[in-house]
Amino acid sequence: MEGKDLEVMIGLEIHVQLASQSKIFCECQANYRESEPNSNVCPICTGQPGSKPMGLNKTALENLLKIASALNAKIKTSEKIYVQRKHYFYPDLPSGYQRTSKPIATEGRIGKVRIREVHIEEDPGRYELKKGLVDYNRSGVPLAEIVTEPDLKTPEEARAFLEELEAILGYLNAVREEAGGTRIDANISLKGGNRVEVKNINSFKGVYTALKYETVRQHSLLEKGGKITQETRHYDEAGGITIGMRKKETAEDYRYIPDPDIPPLEIKQEQVEKVKKQIPELPREKTARVSKEYEIKEEDAWVLASEKELVDLFENLANEFDAQPLANWMRGPLKKQLNYRNMQFKDSKLTTEHVEELYGMITKKEATDKTADTLLIKMLENPQQKPRALANKLGLVRIDNEKAIERIVEETLAENLKAIEDYKKGEQKALHYLAGKIMAKTRGTAAPEIVQKLLKEKMA
Amino acid sequence: MKTTELAQAIKKGELTAQANAEEKIKAVEKNKHLNAFIDVYAEEALEKAKEIDARVKKGEETGMLAGLIVALKSNICIKGKRATCASKILENYVAPYNATVVEKIIAEDGIIIGSTNMDEFACGSAGTYSAFGPARNPHNPELVPGGSSSGSAVAVATGMADLALGSDTGGSIRCPASFCGVVGFKPTYGAVSRYGLIDMGMSLDQIGPFARDVEGAMLLLTTIAGKDARDQQTSATPSQLAFEAKKIKGMKIGLAKEFFEGTDKQIALKIGEAIQKLKEAGAELVEVSIPSARYAVPIYFLTMFAEFSSAMQKYDGLRYGLPTDVTMPLAKAVSEERAQGLGREIKRRIMVGTFITMKEYSEAWYAKTLKARTKLKKEFETALEKCDAIVTPTMPCLPWKIGEKMSNPVEMYMADMLTASANIAGIPAGTAKCAEINGLPVGMQVHAKKNDENNAFTVLQAVQERTGK
Repeated sequence: MEGKDLEVMIGLEIHVQLASQSKIFCECQANYRESEPNSNVCPICTGQPGSKPMGLNKTALENLLKIASALNAKIKTSEKIYVQRKHYFYPDLPSGYQRTSKPIATEGRIGKVRIREVHIEEDPGRYELKKGLVDYNRSGVPLAEIVTEPDLKTPEEARAFLEELEAILGYLNAVREEAGGTRIDANISLKGGNRVEVKNINSFKGVYTALKYETVRQHSLLEKGGKITQETRHYDEAGGITIGMRKKETAEDYRYIPDPDIPPLEIKQEQVEKVKKQIPELPREKTARVSKEYEIKEEDAWVLASEKELVDLFENLANEFDAQPLANWMRGPLKKQLNYRNMQFKDSKLTTEHVEELYGMITKKEATDKTADTLLIKMLENPQQKPRALANKLGLVRIDNEKAIERIVEETLAENLKAIEDYKKGEQKALHYLAGKIMAKTRGTAAPEIVQKLLKEKMA
Repeated sequence: MKTTELAQAIKKGELTAQANAEEKIKAVEKNKHLNAFIDVYAEEALEKAKEIDARVKKGEETGMLAGLIVALKSNICIKGKRATCASKILENYVAPYNATVVEKIIAEDGIIIGSTNMDEFACGSAGTYSAFGPARNPHNPELVPGGSSSGSAVAVATGMADLALGSDTGGSIRCPASFCGVVGFKPTYGAVSRYGLIDMGMSLDQIGPFARDVEGAMLLLTTIAGKDARDQQTSATPSQLAFEAKKIKGMKIGLAKEFFEGTDKQIALKIGEAIQKLKEAGAELVEVSIPSARYAVPIYFLTMFAEFSSAMQKYDGLRYGLPTDVTMPLAKAVSEERAQGLGREIKRRIMVGTFITMKEYSEAWYAKTLKARTKLKKEFETALEKCDAIVTPTMPCLPWKIGEKMSNPVEMYMADMLTASANIAGIPAGTAKCAEINGLPVGMQVHAKKNDENNAFTVLQAVQERTGK
């Protein structure tokens, strides 16, 4: 199932919630999640008869321009950009149309993936189909829609693209941080089949699952001599599958008209220049520079650069410690604990100082890998705690005293005569087994190299 | 007594707001047969009047409209009151907020007496397309009062209100003002906030005043005009913060033959006489040409249909109107709801508007209409460079009998042929009575440049004074 053989074409339409204080066309808070259903609303975002939109939220537009700029897209400065009405009926759409702008920027690029266009629009409310309930708290939250060309060849490429996009968005601080605001529609076609659109994917991870499912489904259907018709499918997150929604025999007609209530947007060149100046060094450039400057492996640099705060931490500590072992530790044990908690470094609330102290304990052999892990876990539970003080409190100070260790080694050997026999027969596993016993007895504090040395001496 | 004199008298305590309110409420009772109001707030109006009198007595400052009785078209939202749009689908819709114009009237101590009858969703030129029954012409109850702001014009003509607000998308203020013999004014697009005005054709809609004299219209417009963050199309110029009439002498008045071609001969004659009186008063007459004015009706209707069909999307049976029968399949339930909740004319306009904005037809119809609109707008701008105001008849015909023209929509649409241009061009236009034919008033229409209301008011005031009204 290589992409090349199948000739898969994948294009994505990514909707992200733009960061802003208020909603796009009214004064309601954009942070709708903390409100009771239908309390974060006004006549405008519920489309009451007679209400009109206020001016398009400036912060939201500025954040969209940041995104467009970071995607190397051309921002339209020489023309009027109309906000259009896209008409369709749905319970969560209070006026029966969604306000959505014409493309604000076009011809962008992330690596080899071309970005067709970026535009701004309003989020509809939320509709719970099964309960028949509508909540308009979300109605009017500003969205950016990023549309790619069908340049992605495999679900893996799509995943890598989205990871990079996510990293870029994180660097820009341009989107709302709360989870669940992102929605992706994916278009996928295999050679010999028609274009299938998968709608309502709610996470970047879901895109991969949906695309993986679709490539397999479409491929096996084609192999059996079946036909892929143009259709829209719904992504079922629980099952990780896609379900046919409706056949697209004729294209939908949204009867677009320019919204008569909204004067067209005009973006000034100065504004574009101002935004460009605010764009930080982005993950791709960051990776290249950090890897070169600190002489670490590029793939390690890439992992670190996936989050701005993480790579900043690295750069802060790399002046003090050897870079490659530091990168290994950050990419390995640190990232593992963060991933396990589904968090980014900045969410962990760990301070640079505390991490510096902890990593310093490892390099100075005050902590073993095992105790460093234990300390990190405790620190993640309560980021106020300083690692060294914590180690003392928990009795997790590394034991370097050979006499002290020797006593424990002898005790352990006396309890495991069978293991000694095995070792003498040449079984290396027995050595690991005994070392494990000792580490358990000392809660990981015994210096491992001394344990190894003593075990070998005693059993020789 | 002029409206402004009445306002001064109440301010000074020479007359009471209470007496004024009582007089208006009596007139409402007396003229019930004209069906001008959908809802009357008599008690609240009296209470507010007493409160104003008490403040005058204490020597407190009162607003510009203190003690004046104002009627509002029922497509303008008043918090806690029904905003029916004279439609079944909004029969029980209580507005949760005030329109900006309502806020401004309240701030200036105007007393709101009720919501007036109209053509459903402002779609009509006669006042006959109301789900609450037709409004009637005070000069002859068998005749139409004009529309769509029918009740507002009737209320002012019969002394049920000192002032009224209507909305004008293609002539909906000027038509009933002309048929009822009062002053009606459609301001520059953007002079008055539309926030709280229920949509019809959003690029054409403007709220404007009715009054029994030009001074009253200026006073109310001064109250309601101005920039509003809740209507992005508003723009305020200094001249729009206080309206006043100047001297007619030396003004250049443009005459365009296109506006007389389809007009009833008798009306054209009367307008000609009134124009002579303006000349006698010192105005200079200039011939101008606006050839595309002949296409004002198709340009106006196609633009409005497209925007109206979009505006009406929200009345899908899920949110407004009669309770939907949930046992029916969704599509059927929604069509039933709309079939019962919306009038025939509304459905016609939604269907045509939907058709011309469909992908397949949009280029041929909607896009072409927008181009024609730009052309007509430019022609007006050019013509208005040669003169200060353009004078035309307001209506091409006299009020017809209630029930006539109902079977032929195109015939009804033609009634807007002289008024629609001002909306298409976004310029101000008002009407004042200049003559009578068989006891029925004839209105003269005055257009001016964008944001140049005062020139229009100057000519209207001269019409009012010189024609002996």
